Amino acid sequence: MKTFPFIYNQPKDFLNSLQWKDWADFLLGEINPLFSFTETKAKVIDIREETADSRTFVLRTNRNWKGIQAGQHFPVSVEIAGRKVTRFYSLSGLSKEKRTLQITVKKQAGGLVSHYLNERTQVGDILGLGAAQGDFVLPKTLPNSILFLAGGSGITPVHSLLQDLKERNFQGKAKLLYFSRHDKDIILQDSLDLLEKENSWLEIKHVLTDIKSEEYDFGFLSKKMLEDFAPNWKESLVYLCGPAPLQNSAKQLLAGAEIKSELFLLPNQRVSAFSSNGPKEVSLLLSHKTVQIKGEKSILEELEEIGIFAPSGCRMGICHTCVCKKKSGAVSHMVKEEASGEGEENIQICVSRAVENLELEL
Amino acid sequence: MKTLSRKLSSEEIQSFGNELEEMRKEILSKVGQEDADHIKRVYKVYRYTEALGRGLLHFSFDPITFVLGTSLLTISKILNNMEIGHNVMHGQYDWMNDKRFNSRTFEWDIVSDSSQWKFYHNYMHHTYTNVIGKDHDYGYNFTRLTEEQKWKPTYLGQVFANMFLAFNFQWGVGAHGPRVEYMEKPKKQRTKRTYKEYRDVFFKKIELQLVKDYIFFPALAGLNFPKVFLGNLLANMFRNLWTYSVIFCGHFTENTETFSTEELKNETKADWYLRQLKGSSNLKGGKLFYVMTGHLSHQIEHHMFPDIPAKRYQEIAPRLQEICKRYGQHYNSAGFIKQFASVWKRIFAYSFPDKIATKIMEPRNAKARKRLDALSVQTITIEDKELTAVS
Ligand code: FES
Repeated sequence: MKTFPFIYNQPKDFLNSLQWKDWADFLLGEINPLFSFTETKAKVIDIREETADSRTFVLRTNRNWKGIQAGQHFPVSVEIAGRKVTRFYSLSGLSKEKRTLQITVKKQAGGLVSHYLNERTQVGDILGLGAAQGDFVLPKTLPNSILFLAGGSGITPVHSLLQDLKERNFQGKAKLLYFSRHDKDIILQDSLDLLEKENSWLEIKHVLTDIKSEEYDFGFLSKKMLEDFAPNWKESLVYLCGPAPLQNSAKQLLAGAEIKSELFLLPNQRVSAFSSNGPKEVSLLLSHKTVQIKGEKSILEELEEIGIFAPSGCRMGICHTCVCKKKSGAVSHMVKEEASGEGEENIQICVSRAVENLELEL
Repeated sequence: MKTLSRKLSSEEIQSFGNELEEMRKEILSKVGQEDADHIKRVYKVYRYTEALGRGLLHFSFDPITFVLGTSLLTISKILNNMEIGHNVMHGQYDWMNDKRFNSRTFEWDIVSDSSQWKFYHNYMHHTYTNVIGKDHDYGYNFTRLTEEQKWKPTYLGQVFANMFLAFNFQWGVGAHGPRVEYMEKPKKQRTKRTYKEYRDVFFKKIELQLVKDYIFFPALAGLNFPKVFLGNLLANMFRNLWTYSVIFCGHFTENTETFSTEELKNETKADWYLRQLKGSSNLKGGKLFYVMTGHLSHQIEHHMFPDIPAKRYQEIAPRLQEICKRYGQHYNSAGFIKQFASVWKRIFAYSFPDKIATKIMEPRNAKARKRLDALSVQTITIEDKELTAVS
């Protein structure tokens, strides 16, 4: 550390100590909750009912928004019971206007945020956003043939990709095989119909999986279904988005094809997907290490057993010396006996146990 | 000392601890919107009072604006330190996932560095509350408050030293930080270099604070430099006086007990709860007073549940009192004046050697009492001999 005068040697630290960004954010926020110096936020400007349990939200961001590509996703945070909770949502449609986004959210069993958005959120509410990410996007030069496979809410990024194709005057052929539970459960149906009508390059096939209906096919993805609908799948670029079972069978059937896939898991799905009590992998992002822990005792203790000493104090959950940012993965709180969410949050590693693989800022 | 609490069997202690654990879980399950709203509201008041206070000081050409500006700045600094800073850094609002109220990132408007403070306060003081030799907040290294600290002649001046400390409290707190960190290092790792590192962290924070309050803001005011300078000085001073008074009432009143490192051996969580109860004392008052003390008015509740949002202590207090009553445990609570007077009585008493000190106050622990008893027996025997000699 360079010493006195610090203000000369470390002028940045000094500037930060004035907390001028906090000040600016506070003042701007007082004027209009959407304004912010550092944070990306968006106002809900329109809400459309899609199905009984899904809605589309049109958002208008503030100036901090850096843009997004069709097919990408971004973190959306809402405040629920005083707590900021973050989940990722895909862009579900393109908009002509700059800084206007669209997401479509389906209620998930036990899903905190998806329920909140569907039941509580109204036009005019403010949501927090993060930077867009993901490579579930179209390539620079478009291929001749594209096959989209979507299940349930997995249609959302696919929908924005289709719109993107339209924007880019797609000359090839595209096919979409879309699985829904029943006919009332088809998300973005009107818009899909319209797309299909307007664009001769597009062919959409709806398949229902739970309840039969006259107008639609029924069943799960099979070899026959695939061959009938898209015999040339081997020459196609395949985009796959939907629940894990669909992804698994699709990947088996389409072995050899070029597949881009995106899988979103909800906290409860995760736990069941990874509930084996075997060892967990923990990536320590700051020290660039990945280690195995057992998931039996607190993370702090287990790390210490393998010789990694994280900051700690009381070791009983009162002093918060051991707080560390969890980037991904779920833990369970040993005192409160409850599971955490899967997203980014601060955890006390002295009273948390690893439930699945983790990424920690340590 | 004559403890005012009944001695509990180990089963009783265990069930006492269990009741508190139950309460903790119940209260934690309620924490949510209300608490978030509260801290955001306080944050707003803190920002507005600071803006207004500094603004008024800036253009303070008459005494009224000056006094008003200084008062608002004082209030703002108190809120920043107490209801926001202290509680946020305990992690009471970490669950909100809001960077303004996060214990990792929060930095306060005071000379002690937040990372050091979290070590000597959150960890050392809260884990080893009132354990002589481990809890460095106990007298901040220069006030003697129990027989277990050996008397030295310098303690004779501690009444005056404490008056001085009261005006400069943040300096006292900040300065003992590097030393605590140094002393807690294993002996082998204690080198001059490590000490210097700790000290530099503190020095850096000092410099930032001094430049901000005494150069940056006064300079912004141009010709009004001296008044802004003075306003900042006074605001810091009043804040110091206030925090000193509140904090000293928390552990140093007459009836708070001290503990030795031996008592820590095999201490269970339930024992720990009991120690927090015996080592802390509360202040009675109104809601505004509670917020201005950062709810350290509820020192006992705070020590049992340091990471529960502080406003909740108000609803915990009556329930805790009821539990204490059932277990025959003394719940140390009184008005501010009474507690404050009892702190100064103690500071005064222990500035003298034990012989005099124990005339003013009850001896504080059994060991000291025994020693004193032994002493008095000796004197009696001597007197006896003398008597026989004379007769
Ligand atoms: S070490 Fe104290 S809270 Fe985890």
